[in-house]
Amino acid sequence: MWKTVLRRVLIMIPQLILLSIIVFMLAKMMPGDPFTGLINPNSSPKEIARLKQAYGLNDPVPVQYVRWIKNLLHGDLGQSYIQHVPVASLIADRAQNTFWLSLLSTIFLYGIAIPMGISAGKHEGEWQDRAISVFNYVTYAIPGFVFYLLGLWLFGFTLGWFPISGTVAANASGFWGVFFSRLQHMILPAILYAIIATTGTVQYLRTGIIDNKVEDYVKTARSKGVPEKVVFNKHILRNSFLPIAAFMGNTITGLLGGSLIIETVFSFPGMGKLFLDSISQRDYTTLTALIMIFGTLTLLGNLLSDIIMSLVDPRIRVK
Amino acid sequence: MKRRMLGTFGVLLAGAALLAGCGKSSSSSSNSGAKDAKKFPEATATATAKKGGSITIAEESDTPVKGVFLNELSDSQYDQDFMAFGNEGLFATDDQYKINNKGAATFKMDRKAKTVTIEVKKGVKWSDGKQVTAKDVEYSYEIIANKASQSSRYTSSLADIVGLAEYHDGKSKKISGIEMPDGENGRKVVLHFKEMKPGMTQSGNGFFWEYAAPYHYLKDVPFSKLQSSDKVRKNPLFFGPYKLSKLVRGQSATWVRNPYYYRGKAKLDKITISVISPNSASQSIKSKKFDMIDVVNSQWKEVKGTKGYNFVAQIPLSYSYMGFKVGKWDKKTGSVKMNKNSKMSNRYLRQAMGYAMNVDEVTQHYTQGLSFRVKTLVPEAFGDFYDKSVKGFPLNIKKANALLDKAGYKKKKGETYRRDPNGKKLTIHLAAMSGSPNQEAIVQNYIQQWKKIGLHVTLTTGRLIEFNSFYDKVRNDDPSVDVFMAAWSLSSEPTQDDLYGPKAPYNFTRFATSENTKLLKEMNSDKAFNHSYRVQKFHEWQQYMQKEAFVIPLTNSYSITAVNSKLVNYSTKPSKAATLWYETGFKK
Repeated sequence: MWKTVLRRVLIMIPQLILLSIIVFMLAKMMPGDPFTGLINPNSSPKEIARLKQAYGLNDPVPVQYVRWIKNLLHGDLGQSYIQHVPVASLIADRAQNTFWLSLLSTIFLYGIAIPMGISAGKHEGEWQDRAISVFNYVTYAIPGFVFYLLGLWLFGFTLGWFPISGTVAANASGFWGVFFSRLQHMILPAILYAIIATTGTVQYLRTGIIDNKVEDYVKTARSKGVPEKVVFNKHILRNSFLPIAAFMGNTITGLLGGSLIIETVFSFPGMGKLFLDSISQRDYTTLTALIMIFGTLTLLGNLLSDIIMSLVDPRIRVK
Repeated sequence: MKRRMLGTFGVLLAGAALLAGCGKSSSSSSNSGAKDAKKFPEATATATAKKGGSITIAEESDTPVKGVFLNELSDSQYDQDFMAFGNEGLFATDDQYKINNKGAATFKMDRKAKTVTIEVKKGVKWSDGKQVTAKDVEYSYEIIANKASQSSRYTSSLADIVGLAEYHDGKSKKISGIEMPDGENGRKVVLHFKEMKPGMTQSGNGFFWEYAAPYHYLKDVPFSKLQSSDKVRKNPLFFGPYKLSKLVRGQSATWVRNPYYYRGKAKLDKITISVISPNSASQSIKSKKFDMIDVVNSQWKEVKGTKGYNFVAQIPLSYSYMGFKVGKWDKKTGSVKMNKNSKMSNRYLRQAMGYAMNVDEVTQHYTQGLSFRVKTLVPEAFGDFYDKSVKGFPLNIKKANALLDKAGYKKKKGETYRRDPNGKKLTIHLAAMSGSPNQEAIVQNYIQQWKKIGLHVTLTTGRLIEFNSFYDKVRNDDPSVDVFMAAWSLSSEPTQDDLYGPKAPYNFTRFATSENTKLLKEMNSDKAFNHSYRVQKFHEWQQYMQKEAFVIPLTNSYSITAVNSKLVNYSTKPSKAATLWYETGFKK
């Protein structure tokens, strides 16, 4: 087991190096630079050239790359060209927001999806199942941004139950004040996100339950006289969670990735938004740092998934 | 909130201006020049405001606000909006942006001695109660010119101050041309210039800085650390009517009265400004979430009837334009090299393209009349510098055809398109920026218009170009660009050198003739200290631009703000900029 993990971690190293090269080259290939947006009749091109020089943007790309990697290995992600603060602090700031939002979304997601999946699987073909199917089709068909905007319009503007943007009210004070204000800001996006993202989980769970219901071991259990409740909870349900567990690792690391669309609609300063902004503003340091982080998280997520799988499903344990 | 800007973000705003230029339509007359289009008040009612009350203001931004609250380092309009309530400049101006003595400091120019004397008024205090001193005024220059601070505000115009360039290059420890006759704690600063310019009496001229920075507060922070220092990002000091009391990084700022404000106590108890997504703007107006909020022009139809708001507007100092590439930038000499034989070098061809454009129709159809055709490159807001007699390029297909015939652009029998005077096939490549959803339709419409006069125009790269790539091509004189559509946002000094001079890299058309250079020089010559002479030269230049047509001015748009109708004394007038937040309050 630990050998496998070690091997996987070692494989990650060349993968990350390759990723870093591709990321860096692609970032540099984008037209424009962080100072394009500064062009105006009152800022002399000489000064812009000076700033570019000072930030080392005039050096050959390989030189820039080596410098970047060196700093990266020292844990220095560099200084954001646009925000004028260290990238690490910028990301820490945003990651926090995204983390809490994602965590809340995930809780809502499983809170909604698991009971629905179980109910649908248990009552296959009955009205519960059909109602949930309709729900699934509808939420699957609606594009996220339409759904979010609709929710924002209804609950944010028309009913006024929730704030429409940001992570915390300007006048919130004290620990609990800030805490509840933050919570209030996250509830609407988190619920909206959870509702529309349930499809996959519900379907996996439903199919799992339906498939497992007719498995031989279930029949055996039943014929042995095991109570139906125990059959369902112990034999059917457990096995049906396997596909969800397979995604667990990525879900956990994905907590930091953030959702671009939801963050944009709710002006929620998180990682997804930061990523988009850093692309449009050519904030190379932030951009490359983010991609490296996302890349690492994805690889870690896969690894974590495999570990979780091997823990819960002895059949697929690798030697 | 868009307030007057002292010439930041040309291009960024240019993109926005283009965006604003394309909303949805239906509007009055076809002669919608700036003058006829003034259909919004510039200010809310003037009345005695009561003390008290708090307001919330929306800042529409897709990105969280950076929050560099120091004028010398800030390079974002959003930051400027966020700090506007406390951030007063040294000077007040009249409605044509001419500096007067009604602000925090007085201004005296001595042409013979080549000096400008700035004297901070007694009682002008930072929000910690300390008097604003001569050193504070001088310190601004140190921040800007010191390389370690990474300010983008250092310019060649500013280097007209004696000794600033030497300080910038690290050759001297002091700026020799900035004198403090009463010492650092005095209130008087004398700036010595290498050369005096007629534009120096205008705010935004760029030859001297119009803010001060709190030296006593910031002196312990090294220049290289200023940008990320908490004293700049979290707890800034200003001498305006309000002081910052709470900041949520990137999202919102709360301002309360500055008890030391030199004019007296401001009216409102509290001002909160929060970032919202521009997508939420119209909904926010309709549900009255804010007391002040900018209208996104393309959403005007949805919000215009909303009760409880006054819609106040200004015409910003900006314009969109179409430029013709007629030369190249010569890196060696640092100047424009015009090519008399380039594809677009024929003035009749350029004029014809201008006359073929149905700008009035487009603005009516797509922008509800919130954008309008501009006739010259000098905005009307500059008062008498603007030449009323210049007509621009109203739609006139007949004239366009006649011009092309005259210049020898003829069709061969059976062909749709004209050939160039040498009989070669002519294809003109137009570069246009992507932006609003209507942009594509507008550009295609113009291409159809040009087809009507027999000109074959195609889009560079075959589609609209993203902002960064667009300026990359235009700046580097990419051969795939013959004509381009862009926009400028201007400083409040009308000088044209930086955009159209022979040594200006932003002279993107690369047009340079001796006549043009002469006129530009005369506009800023010694004689031009005489106002009517300067005005006359501005008029001559505008007429010359009309004739040469290497840049065709296209449109400008209203910038509209919805203001709670209970609020009084809010104004977009330049003369009110200095006292705006001091006076704005709820009706008594």
